[in-house]
Amino acid sequence: MTNFLHSSSRIPPAYFVFVALLVTLWITKPQLMNLNVMGVFIRQVAPLGILVLGQLLVMRVRSIDLSGAGVLLLVNYLIASGLLGDLPLGLVLLISLCIGCAVGLFNGYLVAKRRVSAVIATLAVTVIITGFVQFLASGKPPGNMPDLMNDIYKLKWGPVPLPVVLWVTLTALTAVFLSRFVYGRFVMAVGENPTASHFSGVPVARTVLVAHVSAGLFAGIAAIVQSSSVAVGSLRLGLEMPIDAVAATILGGVVFGRGDGGVWGPFFGVMCFALLFVVMISFGVPEPGKQIARGLIILLAAIFYGLSTRNS
Amino acid sequence: MTYTHIPSPPNKSWGRWLGRNSRQGNWWAPLLIILITVVILLVTTDDFATSQNASNLLAQAMPLIIVAIGQMIVVVLAGMDLSVGSVMSLTTAILALDGSPVVLILLVILAAASIGLVNGFAIVRLNVHPIIATLSMQFIVLGIAQLLRPVAGGFVPDIVVTVVTGSVLGIPAAVFWAVFVVALGWKLLHGSRFGLHLFAIGGGAASGQTDTAHNFGLKDHRNIVLAYVLSALFAALAGVFIAGRIASGDPGVGSQFALDSITAVAIGGTQLSGGVGGLHGTILGAVLMSLLANGMNLAGLSAFLQGAIKGAILLLVVGLQSRKKMGL
Amino acid sequence: MQPAVTMKGVTKHFGSTRAVNDVSFEIHRGRVHALMGENGAGKSTLMKILAGVHRPDAGEITISGRTVAFADPREALAAGVSTVFQELSLLPNLSIAENMFLGKELIGRFGIPNRSEMGRRTAQALSELGMSLDPNTLVSELSIAERQFVEIAHGIKADAQVFILDEPTAALNAADVEILNTQIAKLKAAGKAIIYISHRMDEIFAICDDVTVMKDGTHVATQPLSELSPDGLIALMVGRELSDLFPARAKNTGPVLLSCQALRLSQDSDAISFELRAGEILGLAGLEGQGQSEIVRSLIGQFPAIRGRVAVADQSIGLPLPTEGGVRFMQNLRVGFVPEDRKEEGLLLGAPIAENIGIALQAARPGFRPLARFRDAVKRVMAEMNVKAESSIMPVGALSGGNQQKVLLGRYLAADMDILIIEEPTRGVDIGAKAEIYRLLRALANEGKAIITLSRETVELIGLCDRLLVIHDQRIAAEMAGDDATEHAILNAALTQ
Repeated sequence: MTNFLHSSSRIPPAYFVFVALLVTLWITKPQLMNLNVMGVFIRQVAPLGILVLGQLLVMRVRSIDLSGAGVLLLVNYLIASGLLGDLPLGLVLLISLCIGCAVGLFNGYLVAKRRVSAVIATLAVTVIITGFVQFLASGKPPGNMPDLMNDIYKLKWGPVPLPVVLWVTLTALTAVFLSRFVYGRFVMAVGENPTASHFSGVPVARTVLVAHVSAGLFAGIAAIVQSSSVAVGSLRLGLEMPIDAVAATILGGVVFGRGDGGVWGPFFGVMCFALLFVVMISFGVPEPGKQIARGLIILLAAIFYGLSTRNS
Repeated sequence: MTYTHIPSPPNKSWGRWLGRNSRQGNWWAPLLIILITVVILLVTTDDFATSQNASNLLAQAMPLIIVAIGQMIVVVLAGMDLSVGSVMSLTTAILALDGSPVVLILLVILAAASIGLVNGFAIVRLNVHPIIATLSMQFIVLGIAQLLRPVAGGFVPDIVVTVVTGSVLGIPAAVFWAVFVVALGWKLLHGSRFGLHLFAIGGGAASGQTDTAHNFGLKDHRNIVLAYVLSALFAALAGVFIAGRIASGDPGVGSQFALDSITAVAIGGTQLSGGVGGLHGTILGAVLMSLLANGMNLAGLSAFLQGAIKGAILLLVVGLQSRKKMGL
Repeated sequence: MQPAVTMKGVTKHFGSTRAVNDVSFEIHRGRVHALMGENGAGKSTLMKILAGVHRPDAGEITISGRTVAFADPREALAAGVSTVFQELSLLPNLSIAENMFLGKELIGRFGIPNRSEMGRRTAQALSELGMSLDPNTLVSELSIAERQFVEIAHGIKADAQVFILDEPTAALNAADVEILNTQIAKLKAAGKAIIYISHRMDEIFAICDDVTVMKDGTHVATQPLSELSPDGLIALMVGRELSDLFPARAKNTGPVLLSCQALRLSQDSDAISFELRAGEILGLAGLEGQGQSEIVRSLIGQFPAIRGRVAVADQSIGLPLPTEGGVRFMQNLRVGFVPEDRKEEGLLLGAPIAENIGIALQAARPGFRPLARFRDAVKRVMAEMNVKAESSIMPVGALSGGNQQKVLLGRYLAADMDILIIEEPTRGVDIGAKAEIYRLLRALANEGKAIITLSRETVELIGLCDRLLVIHDQRIAAEMAGDDATEHAILNAALTQ
């Protein structure tokens, strides 16, 4: 049994699950299987897909980032509330990216230098940012998203929506960076064995710090895409996104320290989520079902990996 | 490590006084801060020094005290239970169902025990990291709570409300709850073989001597599972208390308690790396947090800012503890 | 009179290594029985079997005539065997009394542990050892000496019949040693059997009555100490054939590449100073755990030395070095450190051979640069070290021990280090690979590099090294040229200086 688990853990579950969901939809709701409908759903998960890029980086070095929700909220509010006055949109977007990086830097400092538990650190950061944003919003409620952003969101490049293009491009860039640049080797080494990496001269703390900063940057980008998908600023947005990102990453074969799935495994993990949302909506699964699904996916995947690596 | 590291003897006098080398953890600090806070509040606000406010304070602090005690049981083992908030929510949702109080209470106990069993089993037998296991359970249990009660509402049996908000001989029920819960917590952590074994297992985890407890014949697997079951049961008890207060079910009621309970435990001097801590510290930590909330309310601080401040406190307190591991 | 302990044909394997091979002897009541042997002789393993930590693969052990088989140390203690381990088994966050009663707590009314009674009995056991410690003190607050006495008191309280003392005086000063000896005399008079493991010759001859010598896992001799002299004892412990594994030593050496000045490992230890020259292989010899590992780890910041200086590559650096950046700092100065535990600390087991070999090269470059494949370097190293593998993308975890060790060493070869610090060059490596590794190390030295190495196998050090520093008790006990060194001489220097 463990042999089967061990060899099958080479192929990330995301691929199996994706195929299974696709087949399910094909059989039960063939009318949904056209490019337009699919396009809408896939575009909807583009922010998640971008967030996942940061999450997989952080999880590969045995950490985690749950602060994406905070970044999302802050950026969304910043853009929608006009808090920054009459600054040009481009500058506001740049500031959003900087916010993401700053949050990532803070996370990285806490995790890599102070050695705080990553879950606690990033959850606490989320709580702080969320509280702060909600406080600001009670004084100055968020308004409408600038039309320019909504318009850009609806653009297409050929048949493919722009957000999806951005997502795929970023994924490809990340894949290339990890496989062709020295940092990618550091990430691989630290995830495989931090002690051995240390004795090999790999800068372990710095690698983890950079991973968190990158995750923050990706969160900032995801926040911009997500914000452009809504007409009005919202305070309920994306609180579950980081957890979905963890689930999609684990489905994609990237579990703490291990990177078997590469970058495309979690990519398909996100696609699974797209299909999962379609399935749930078309079958009328109530909202709480999504919560249960999130938790169940993470738990089952963690058990799967725990069992398959126990005897290796 | 395969070479013998010869540590230098620790500094005795200062460290002992500050509680650094005591197994109770540093609980002087929260006590001091509480005293200072009480003095400040007495001086600066008018409403603080009333008996109404005092009994209010105790009732408001009760849920956190109860959850924090359960959380401490798990933290002493170098673990963590992030699902406690959802267990509380589920408890209120169950109690708001239609049915006899006895059946509902039994259901609550059964649900909490099962959740604890799943957590413990996944951690001990299936090799899942405690944070991952309890984090995923947080969502699963929350989903179940939302299925039972999508929006706040429903009616909690009268008997529950009475037990929580009534009074005996003029003494509010919360006082009896406090006595009961503190006694139970003390018995489990400091007054039983189980508690001693918890500290032994946690101490082994903290110092890297993971075999030692086992070598002494302690049933560490069974104790760990039991600890997670107890944590869930304490969370359920806290949920019962809240249900009695709000007299309805609410799936969102527990959301902040996971982090809050960890904050309370950490403030009280319990080390997240295991093996060190004292019950009085945890209770002081929970009381301090409630006091701060009370004070911030009286000062008119926005609820949202209060949340942010709590998060900052957690970071501060946890950042002061030292850890060998990096990451998760 | 019936012996307290008999061992009959006890055997224990660890994988393919036979740590204890068909050992039989007797230990008698009322006598102090020394157990001696070099590193890897098997004495720790044998005592761990007796203490219930390991289970033997074959053989029989009796205690007072009763055959026993222990599942864990608690059972051993219950049967009357008390051990004071070298790796202390006290939990630092528990008090003395709590440690003493762990697993067998005294429970009073309502299931509450009876702390006052446990404290009273603990205080009594401690006072018998002349200690007036408060039983409620946390073990983390005790000094090493105090901890050792607590462990002994534990055994006395448990009414053990057999006491195993593993290097009990390692951290004791003269006064404490006196107390210990008085205790041992008392136990002896009470008819207990005491097994005494130590590397201090004068202690052995002063306190012990009998001695068992082990070598390479087998039993060599058991005799009363009155029949032996220190020299004769050492002769029993050594005497191995030096095979032709080792290439010829260096003819001459070059300039000093690394100089360690006034290194102090702990507050009370002596200053250690030595120099390392180009072209030489320097070995840190002596018995296990005497500070060799701490010395080399101080050089890269993994061990917090008290003070000292290291001069290398025209720089003079004060110790202690920072833990986090120490390895990288030294690697930049072309000093490479090869840790002894290749599985936990050395290799990336799930990663391909090529990655493992190239990682030190990669680590020297900034993260945002494109990857240089170092294909040629990897190929060169694999060829030079004769790593037997189908291809360089095989995961290292799948290789044999010998090939794994070669990959580990190959990493530093590829990174072109000038100075190599190696903790265990051939641990768990078959004889063929050993020879290849020795050849390679000698070739490196001949190119002008310098190597410091430790090893638990003294024979290896003698054959490989040009110069040996015998380390004992965290200081240099003696220095000898490789040509003049013999196991006997090394042990002599270690045990008698």
